[in-house]
Amino acid sequence: MRFFPFLLLVIVLSWPYAAAAVDLQDLIRKVETQYRGDSSHARVSMEIATAHWSRHLEMESWSYGRDYFLTRILEPPKERGVSTLKIKNEVWNYLPKVDRIIKVPASMMGGSWMGSHITNDDLVKASHVDRDYTFRLLEETADLYRIECLPKPDAAVVWGKLIYTIGKDPVVSRRVEYFDEAMVRVREIRFDEVQQIEDRAIPMRLTVQPLEKTQERTVMRYRSIAFGVDIGPGFFSLRSLKRR
Amino acid sequence: MLWRLAARNIWRNRRRSLLTLSALVVSSSLLMLALGIFSGMLADMLASATEQYHGHLVISRQGYQSDRDMYAGFSEAPELRENLLAVPEIDEAAPRLRAFGLLSHERSTHPAEVLGVDPARERRVTTLDDRLVAGSYLSAPAQDGVVVGRGLAERLDVDVGEELVFVTQAADGSIGNAILRVTGIFATGDAGQDNGLALVGLPWLQQTMVLPGQLHELALHIAQPTRAAALAAELEDRVLSAELEALAWSDLLPQMREVIASFDVSRMIIVVILYLAAGLGVLNTFFMSVLERTREFGILMAVGMKPWRVRAMVMLETLTLGVLALLIGVAAGLGLTFYMQRVGVDLSGYLTPITYAGGTILPRLRATLEPANILIPALCLLVVCLLAGYLPARRAARLRPVDAIREE
Repeated sequence: MRFFPFLLLVIVLSWPYAAAAVDLQDLIRKVETQYRGDSSHARVSMEIATAHWSRHLEMESWSYGRDYFLTRILEPPKERGVSTLKIKNEVWNYLPKVDRIIKVPASMMGGSWMGSHITNDDLVKASHVDRDYTFRLLEETADLYRIECLPKPDAAVVWGKLIYTIGKDPVVSRRVEYFDEAMVRVREIRFDEVQQIEDRAIPMRLTVQPLEKTQERTVMRYRSIAFGVDIGPGFFSLRSLKRR
Repeated sequence: MLWRLAARNIWRNRRRSLLTLSALVVSSSLLMLALGIFSGMLADMLASATEQYHGHLVISRQGYQSDRDMYAGFSEAPELRENLLAVPEIDEAAPRLRAFGLLSHERSTHPAEVLGVDPARERRVTTLDDRLVAGSYLSAPAQDGVVVGRGLAERLDVDVGEELVFVTQAADGSIGNAILRVTGIFATGDAGQDNGLALVGLPWLQQTMVLPGQLHELALHIAQPTRAAALAAELEDRVLSAELEALAWSDLLPQMREVIASFDVSRMIIVVILYLAAGLGVLNTFFMSVLERTREFGILMAVGMKPWRVRAMVMLETLTLGVLALLIGVAAGLGLTFYMQRVGVDLSGYLTPITYAGGTILPRLRATLEPANILIPALCLLVVCLLAGYLPARRAARLRPVDAIREE
């Protein structure tokens, strides 16, 4: 029993740390929904650069909770009105030139969204990261966490592993690294230009960087974003997709 | 003198000689016919494999065929086409642009390969226009017509005259989208094409993809498909610029090349088996005739005929029969092959087409005349006759005159 006080000391000393340990799932959910809130309305610009072309898009987007998302291209004029609607796990595109709504088939969910380095899957799956993965704290420093996310066995996800780097003050994503099923790092998204919008800290710029093509990237910048706008699920319908 | 003796010996026992001769003629001419029909099936298969989609020879940017990169295109300079058509073996060079995207009709959407073609030139290279099950082939290339595979049409639930929407990422990164009107539906029997291929006009696709004036490949129709690989090498040497390459169907369809290699092996096996049987028959006949004439040979040698002359005489007998059989056999074989090439036998009432290794075997018997199919049996026939004559000739030459004369 001579060790008992020592043991007690260890427990007491480690207790505050255990109490302070963050709920990783909660943290991921928080950063993944940082752009959404209950509802949101944003103006976004997107710069896409590939080996063969680069282009600039201006878009307007709305979201409601995790499941509803609508975005519409404002510029360039040739593509004005091209819209994407996401409801739960399904994605539709509206093409004003031919006046048709096309549902993205399951086999094409891995394809590029609007020609960017963001896939249709990203639109659907990113909002479920906190449900589809298990979490482990890799590293904690004075100002950030590094969290490893491994897919749950039954989760229908395309990645082998994700690593989130999350700042502590403010609590925002700094970087997400994506690993394929062979655990090769294939893509990262960097977040910066943090601004205080209403009561949230928001990184206004996202850079999607495919790692095997270093000269290619997609940069999304929030020009403005407002939360708590007055829209409900009814706003996100196939009819509203066609509305100009 | 030996010739006359040999000829008389053949003539003396007419029935036996005729039987031997007819055995040789029938076996060689039927073999030629069988090989011709075999070649015909192979030609059907090769034609369906190459003329449905690829063409005999395809010219594209170096490496395009392995990853089909949208940006690995080239512009068809008029002099390239002129230079190609100046090669006598090349019948036509059809330009093509290839895109991958979504085809959508009402509520269904499916990924598809969309091939932009120049209809007038394309139908001289590939035979998809013969495979239509509904509607008609593309007519004016600049218009928005599309010919789709039957499986794809069924999945999209679209019929001739109805609209399809094509969506893809164009070369400038924008979202290419446009309406097409179904003019025809084809069925080739190849599931990959029937379920995932659509043909549109080349200018239409160039505009939709924002690839003005660009091609991904030139598909060639050539006079002798079996010469494709050699011609590809010649074109690369003499006609094409360094950034372009020419690939023969044997490069594009390696499984077809294996089918042909295995055909060559089975052809040799059939020749060997048939001539082994025929050769044993000839050997038997000649041994009998030599054994019957033992006394005769003894007398010939007793009056001073040298053993090598006896041997030469017997060999000449077999050779004469062989040459006769060869002449009649080749004539009969050619006749049968020609007949089967012209007329053929239609088996479509009993069999359905079989798709194998990318080619379709049609339910018909039709021969193709190939020099090798006549030459190989003819040469083998001579060799067999000489071999079958050698053993009896040697026996005759080794007879001792005294014993031979006494023999009854």
